[in-house]
Amino acid sequence: MLGPQNQSTSLQRLNHAEKMIVHALELSGLAMDELANSTGPRTDVLDGHCGEFMQSMKEIQTTLREEIKSACDYRPFEKCDYGARISNEICCQKLEYIAEKLDRMKKTIVQFNDDANLTS
Amino acid sequence: MNMEIDLDKLPLKRLEAIDEAGNEQFPLDIGYEEKRLNMVRRIDFSSVVEERDAKKQKNSKEAAGTQPWPWQSLVENLQVAQQELSIILDLINTVEANDAVTVAGMQRPKQLPHESLSDIVVSSATKLQRLRHLGRYFKQSSKALEQQVTRETRFYDSLIRLQQNWKVKRQHVGISVPGSESCFTIDLLHNSMTDLVLSSRSSILSTVHIDQDHAGVLTVKFPLRLCRRLSIEFPGFHSNHEQKSFQKGKVESVLHTREDEKMALAGEDVNEHVKDSHLILREMHRSIFQEQVFNLVNQKSYNYLPGVNVISMQDDCLQLSIGHGTYVSFRLLPSLEEEPNEKMNSNNQPQNRESGIRSTSSLGSETVDEKSYPMDYLNFPDPASLEIFLQYLFHEGVFLKFKERRTYAPRLVMPSQPTSDGCNFLGHFCMTISHRIFSMRVMSMLEGLVARVPYLHLHYHPTWHSRISSWCLSLKVPLSILHSRRRIKPSESNDLKRGFRSHFHTKVVLNGDQINVSGEGTHEVGSLRGDFAAGCLINCYSCDLVDLPMVILQQVAGQVIHWLHEEALIIGLKVSRDFLCLWFSLDQGDKLGLVANVNAGDIRGCISWWLVFDDSSMEEGKLGATDDGERRSHKFLGNLSLETLYSTLMDLVSLSVYGGGH
Repeated sequence: MLGPQNQSTSLQRLNHAEKMIVHALELSGLAMDELANSTGPRTDVLDGHCGEFMQSMKEIQTTLREEIKSACDYRPFEKCDYGARISNEICCQKLEYIAEKLDRMKKTIVQFNDDANLTS
Repeated sequence: MNMEIDLDKLPLKRLEAIDEAGNEQFPLDIGYEEKRLNMVRRIDFSSVVEERDAKKQKNSKEAAGTQPWPWQSLVENLQVAQQELSIILDLINTVEANDAVTVAGMQRPKQLPHESLSDIVVSSATKLQRLRHLGRYFKQSSKALEQQVTRETRFYDSLIRLQQNWKVKRQHVGISVPGSESCFTIDLLHNSMTDLVLSSRSSILSTVHIDQDHAGVLTVKFPLRLCRRLSIEFPGFHSNHEQKSFQKGKVESVLHTREDEKMALAGEDVNEHVKDSHLILREMHRSIFQEQVFNLVNQKSYNYLPGVNVISMQDDCLQLSIGHGTYVSFRLLPSLEEEPNEKMNSNNQPQNRESGIRSTSSLGSETVDEKSYPMDYLNFPDPASLEIFLQYLFHEGVFLKFKERRTYAPRLVMPSQPTSDGCNFLGHFCMTISHRIFSMRVMSMLEGLVARVPYLHLHYHPTWHSRISSWCLSLKVPLSILHSRRRIKPSESNDLKRGFRSHFHTKVVLNGDQINVSGEGTHEVGSLRGDFAAGCLINCYSCDLVDLPMVILQQVAGQVIHWLHEEALIIGLKVSRDFLCLWFSLDQGDKLGLVANVNAGDIRGCISWWLVFDDSSMEEGKLGATDDGERRSHKFLGNLSLETLYSTLMDLVSLSVYGGGH
């Protein structure tokens, strides 16, 4: 289902974008923590966080832009398949019925053979 | 102590000067603010200032003398501060009370170094605290967002999957209700069905609400009591067929294991979750369709249908009578009723014979049992199959036609099966029922016949038309005879070329309620000689059920005679054929006749044989009365198999070869 990144579905890409947003929020929390460090913020760590944050922002933006571009217009129920669905339901009923009858026939045959074996 | 008292002048206008011309000069009017200002200026702070200076000098003199108390300077500073504060407070109060005085400007005193440092420290400490607070806030919100994202992902994954198969609609709840998401529903009505009559119940059923629980799991409400199914019954007849469909069992299991499902939520595939919703939606959709079928049946029953009368019509039950004495009721039953008693069969009827998918029926061993059950319901088709058929008719005839009519509006003539005409599907259905019942009777009659004639076999041919049934009775020449025949005439490699039959077929077709019998007594159609002139007979009869046995038996007997005739010709006997007789010409003009006697009611066998000896009278040997004791002698041979008949022929050969009477 989840193949390589370039083959993932649109929904999975959007899901990924959401996760990136959550991650960005986490990063900002970490950055704040770093700034609030009592011994003073470590610049490299802070730089790392901020850099990651900006990177993820960029990624989120590109993903969303692509998705928006590729979203098609919403056509309400043009290809409703309820008719075909009912046909299939009827076919399912037919098949169930036939299967049941065949099972009974098989049982009868088996019973007949058993009786024949018993009497012979 | 001296106290100075200052008295204000009365606020009168006093004359200041007067000049020679009599002009009075008054003092200028001092404004209100000016007056106030003057009064303030009159406050004399000098005493206070002098006192302070005096005190300072005194204190400094004293301080040098006495032993310094460690807090003394603090106390003095505080006292000084207090005095200064009180002055300032007074000033402020005066300023507040007097509108004439406002503060022009204030200058901040220059900060001492340690003060500025402490200020910086305090501000940075507060900043750090705020940053920490912010950091915590971000982390918390990221966790909450993550939870919400997973919840929504779970929900929308399921929703997307549902949307692939069902019509999902969104309604935006009003803006006045803050915080509520948009509400999703599923519409189960097909677009083209809106024109057909729907009951109010099915329209309630047609919109399904989608709920989302706290964990984001999508659930679909299942209105248990509103779901119904169509049921066809013959009153007084209980079918063995259990209405338990494969799907229905699953729905029940879904409803009963809700809690377990919730426990096993974590880490499950979203497809599994959606399966239950799909199942519920399928059940509801099916229920709506079956209700529509019932409503349409109700509607159609208002029209006149030949042979069909409405007995009773209720909200969920319609009873019709079809033909003579056949009653059918169409009912809408709740789908998930739990009444196991109804399904138990108290009477010991065997499983009803359905006119469904039978390919061959060999020598009917079932026919023996048939007689012992009193009711005629054995001939009724299985109601379950009728339910399926009715739905199929409705769907094909009405629904698809409707769709076609919508999409191809200008077309007036729709290519369709003539029998599943949308307007007449109820008539077609009722006629099918009566046809099926009649067809079962015909078949049981045929089976009875076939049971009593050993060399006759019954085949049922499905016609794929619900009102036409067809059977084939085939007479098969046993293999032993075929082999022996081949021994006699080995030179004839290809039997077919000479038109030697090993099968004779009689076809029985039931069209509606008309029986047509067509039998062959001729060469095979594939004969290369095309010798149709040599008595190509395909006899066609239409008859009643009462006459059918006799017709068939006569046909079969005729075929046997025909076959014997051909065999005799092969062997070289001189034979001639009559309706049901085969005459062998012996020497001296004697004739030996083999006569077939058909009796449908004979239990031991339907076709029995007589041997008639007719010596040179040239009269047709017929089965006459037994008191005809002339030159004819009859010998009753009984029911003979084909082998026996064939060996009889052989004997006759030897007879005619060796001559003499018998």
